[in-house]
Amino acid sequence: MSSTEQTTKREHGTTASYIAGFVLSVAFTIIPYYLVTRHVVSGLPLLATILGFAVLQMIVQIVFFLHLGREKSPHWQLSFFVATAGIIFVVVAGSLWIMHNLHANMAAEASKKLVNGEAIYQIGGEKTGACQEARANHQVIIRDGSVSPLHIEAQLCDTLTLINEDDMARVIAFGPHDHHATYAGEAELVLGKGRGKTITLSESGTYRFHDHLHEQTAGIFTVAPQ
Amino acid sequence: MKELLLGRLDWHALPHEWFTIGGTIGFILLPLLALAVLIRIRGWKWLWGEWLTSVDPKRIGIMYFIVAGFMLLRGGLDALMVWLQQAMAAGTAHGYLGATHGYLSADHFQQIFTAHGNIMVFFVAMGFVFGLINYIVPLQIGARDLASPFLNTLGFWLYVGGVVMVNMFFGLGGEYAATGWLAIAPLSESQFSPGVGVDYWIWSLQISGIGTTLGAINFIMTIIKMRAPGMTIWKMPAFTWASLCSMIMAMTVFPLLTATLFLLFFDRYLGTHFFTTMGGGDPMMYTNLIWMWGHPEVYILVLPAFGAFTEIVSTFSRKRIASYMSNVLGMIGVSAFALSVWLHHFFTMGAGADVNAFFGVMTMFIAIPTSVLIFTWVATMYKGRIRFTTPMLWFLGFIAVFTIGGMAGVVLAVPPADFQLHNSLFLVAHFHSNVIGGVLFGIFAALSYWFPKITGIRLNERIGRYAFVCWMVGFCLSFIPMYILGIMGATRRLDHYDASTGWQPFYILMLVGGIVIATGVALQLVQIMASFMQKRRLGDTTGDPWDGRTLEWATASPPQSYNFTVIPEAPTRDAFWEMKQRGLPKRTYEDIHVPKNTAAGIYIAAFAFLACFGFVWEITWLVIVSIIGVLAVFVARTFDDHTEHTLTAEEVRRLESERKQRDEAARKQKDTLTPLNIKGAEDMGLLEFARTVLAFGWDVLKNKRWRRWQKQS
Amino acid sequence: MAEAELAERRHEAAYNDRVMFGFWVYLMTDLLMFTVLFAVYAVLHGNTAGGPAGRELFSQPLALAETLILLTSSFTAGLGMIAARRGRKQQVLLWFGITFALGLAFLSLELREFAEFVREGHTLSTSAFLSSFFVLVGTHGLHITSGLLWMAATLFFVVKRGLNAPLVRKLTLLSLFWHFLDIVWIFIFTVVYLMAFV
Repeated sequence: MSSTEQTTKREHGTTASYIAGFVLSVAFTIIPYYLVTRHVVSGLPLLATILGFAVLQMIVQIVFFLHLGREKSPHWQLSFFVATAGIIFVVVAGSLWIMHNLHANMAAEASKKLVNGEAIYQIGGEKTGACQEARANHQVIIRDGSVSPLHIEAQLCDTLTLINEDDMARVIAFGPHDHHATYAGEAELVLGKGRGKTITLSESGTYRFHDHLHEQTAGIFTVAPQ
Repeated sequence: MKELLLGRLDWHALPHEWFTIGGTIGFILLPLLALAVLIRIRGWKWLWGEWLTSVDPKRIGIMYFIVAGFMLLRGGLDALMVWLQQAMAAGTAHGYLGATHGYLSADHFQQIFTAHGNIMVFFVAMGFVFGLINYIVPLQIGARDLASPFLNTLGFWLYVGGVVMVNMFFGLGGEYAATGWLAIAPLSESQFSPGVGVDYWIWSLQISGIGTTLGAINFIMTIIKMRAPGMTIWKMPAFTWASLCSMIMAMTVFPLLTATLFLLFFDRYLGTHFFTTMGGGDPMMYTNLIWMWGHPEVYILVLPAFGAFTEIVSTFSRKRIASYMSNVLGMIGVSAFALSVWLHHFFTMGAGADVNAFFGVMTMFIAIPTSVLIFTWVATMYKGRIRFTTPMLWFLGFIAVFTIGGMAGVVLAVPPADFQLHNSLFLVAHFHSNVIGGVLFGIFAALSYWFPKITGIRLNERIGRYAFVCWMVGFCLSFIPMYILGIMGATRRLDHYDASTGWQPFYILMLVGGIVIATGVALQLVQIMASFMQKRRLGDTTGDPWDGRTLEWATASPPQSYNFTVIPEAPTRDAFWEMKQRGLPKRTYEDIHVPKNTAAGIYIAAFAFLACFGFVWEITWLVIVSIIGVLAVFVARTFDDHTEHTLTAEEVRRLESERKQRDEAARKQKDTLTPLNIKGAEDMGLLEFARTVLAFGWDVLKNKRWRRWQKQS
Repeated sequence: MAEAELAERRHEAAYNDRVMFGFWVYLMTDLLMFTVLFAVYAVLHGNTAGGPAGRELFSQPLALAETLILLTSSFTAGLGMIAARRGRKQQVLLWFGITFALGLAFLSLELREFAEFVREGHTLSTSAFLSSFFVLVGTHGLHITSGLLWMAATLFFVVKRGLNAPLVRKLTLLSLFWHFLDIVWIFIFTVVYLMAFV
């Protein structure tokens, strides 16, 4: 009978071990609590710290309350726990990485281009900012490196067609040459030889555009609000 | 008042269209009729006591096979309906039965392919796999039963609950989910799918998914803790290893499915905003979560097939597996990688190049452990003395078909390629090659390999060969055109298409292939019947018809309920083979603890089913009562301390000697003709089968034999 | 007869070992289910749809109180287990009784918090953040409730049948479950209540 009691003690713990676990757990609860309420640190370091304390307390409770790791070999329970911990990491980290990535790539700027291009002016009752239908069309011709007309005056929801009649491809970007901007979700318009592209003027204001490959070839358009 | 009692149920839910009426007759009334006939012939007490309340994993395994086989017929019928629609519906062709194109309305067509996917994955493949593991693993590790017989029967009846639920909508409700087999949000939200279809979908998957999780825990417990003395983890048979890997994956990912289904349920019922388009919900999170389950699921299905193939190749090449460690590590490798590739199902959903590249590379990695497996099989065959029995034929078919599917998979794993091929018929052909070639052929191989162990009868080889040829030819006719169509631009799930695409000839070819496959299935049923007809000739009384290597062949065929009189010592790999070389141990007897039958599994599953039904139709009182019922029976069962009875050594000795006498008598009768006058020294062919059936039918009708036949059994 | 008794004891010990391991595996599956809820909370907690965020809703002292109550109940459950293994029936009833009371206190605090939110109009259908909050914390609460029901049933049978081997085994599993729920709560406390104020 004594051998069973010994295994019992070793595998199932004594009062002392439970008290030790309890005290440590209380400490690991109070410390992060005070760090947060007293704003000792903030931002990412604070987040990492409180998560660290949570993991520490989990280990304390696993060792002192659940007695993991004390079973005789082979340590099946420990192995399954470690494997599960790994999978939890994959699920949480994987989800966060993927969802963050999806949102970054499908965010406002990118979807602006999409909704403008498809004239999706509302989703589920909420307006997207895209134009419902195009109005007048303005044409800008790029020939021999010069843009004509240099300045287009348009109304909101008109369309602008840029036509490249030169013998080389042009990459039209918006904003100044050293600091590109996006317009209505569009970052770059690649115009092949003799090709044109049309964009919907869904944002009001005055905007520059230029050929990124030959920055002297530039123009302006002003979009008047409704 | 009526709403309080019946929730959303009303007269309109009863079947009133041609397919709901047909479905009700075929999948609800006919099985009930078959059950009624069975009870009439054998008696309710026999059915209840010997089968339904049994906790013997062998009985439960056979029940899994029967239910899964029935669902295979339904899933196959769904496939034929899809093929027929697609072959018919080119361009402005005239529509039939009220449909605009072909004979199915778009909504109905969508429900059919959704049901097809669900049934094949959850109820056919999972059913057969669980049946196999239940029957074979305890025998292979030298155990008498699973670790928890109660959880085993509970898991089975929860699975049956799912089967009932997925067939029930024919009779009540009239619609199933029309969302594709994974019901991606937001299409599956109540905004876009307001009917009961998606609710049936949620609960049939939820109830059988919980059964699967419980089963996985049970199998893991059994394999880890109940192996024969001397059988360390590195000496286990390959099929047991495969089952362990598969069940560890199942235990890992089915909880993810359970949680995700609950979240979708909350969106539909409580108006939460997990995956809705408004209120801050994120539908893309649903896709992320569901594929985290969905990808490992297909590996859960295919790993036991791999394990079965290892046993089959080794036995029929009369050689030890070429490299046991490579084989096992290959299986472990596949399992480990399976959990890190799920994004390849939604490369096109908008993730950046870095995320896509990572998952693309991880997906391609899986080809490595899979190839290791294939090489070990081929290496085992090299310089072996190969017997091309039906299981080996299925294995060869698997190698061809699965490899084609695998190669297509590596193509799809490249994100830029996937942008062209995502959701095209190329994808559909890929996964069907892997699921049919891998899982289904594996199941067929395993069933024909272990059929003599389960029934004591070897399967008819001749008709088995015909069935295999039909399957291979049918598969090629159906799916090779599908690869081509996919590259030509055909997307999946099309209920009609423009005739100018030139696709119709391909679709017609696929339909013909489908009919050939259906012929193959019919031949398999014929094969089983013919084998039973030639029972005397094909019967096996040795327990070891193939000269097997692993412990299950050390028992009688079929095994006694307690499997082994004494748990054998198994200190080597291929334990039974070693025993045969060294001389079989002397037979001894000891007291055996046998778990009692229990109806607790049935009752809990029935209450759980009623709760799910209440959820579908929003019948609150039913949900509350059923949940209380589940808890009450569960508590009653778990606090019952008397769940085993003891079989004394004397009784075991008596049972064994009775069995020996029966086997002796069967052996003596082996060469006499059966009452039905079957001639020939070879296995029955098709003509002979037809003649026998017609003669039997004529005899029964003419002499009204059914009365006497009933009493004989 | 001694040999038969030894075989019986070995049979019991093997059974106990299996059941402990199997229950542990079940706890891993439960942990994975919670993981999905945590992942969903992590992804959606910022989607307040114009409604309130955690910072505006949560009471830090309340969260601390709930945490310490549950932690203490986990401790008393451990003391109850020591008593169970020593066969001390009265001590078992005492310690698990305290555990039950503390668990009930925890639940009532949590339900009061939920009721207050609902009264103010912040329900689980208000925003994705609130949906994920209610479902994550609520699922934990449901598990606590099941644990309490299990505890009540087991203690009832301890009174009726005395502290026999099967009941000690059940108490072992129950205390495993209870400790596990406290570990999950540590993460809820950190990720939900503390993180809202970071």
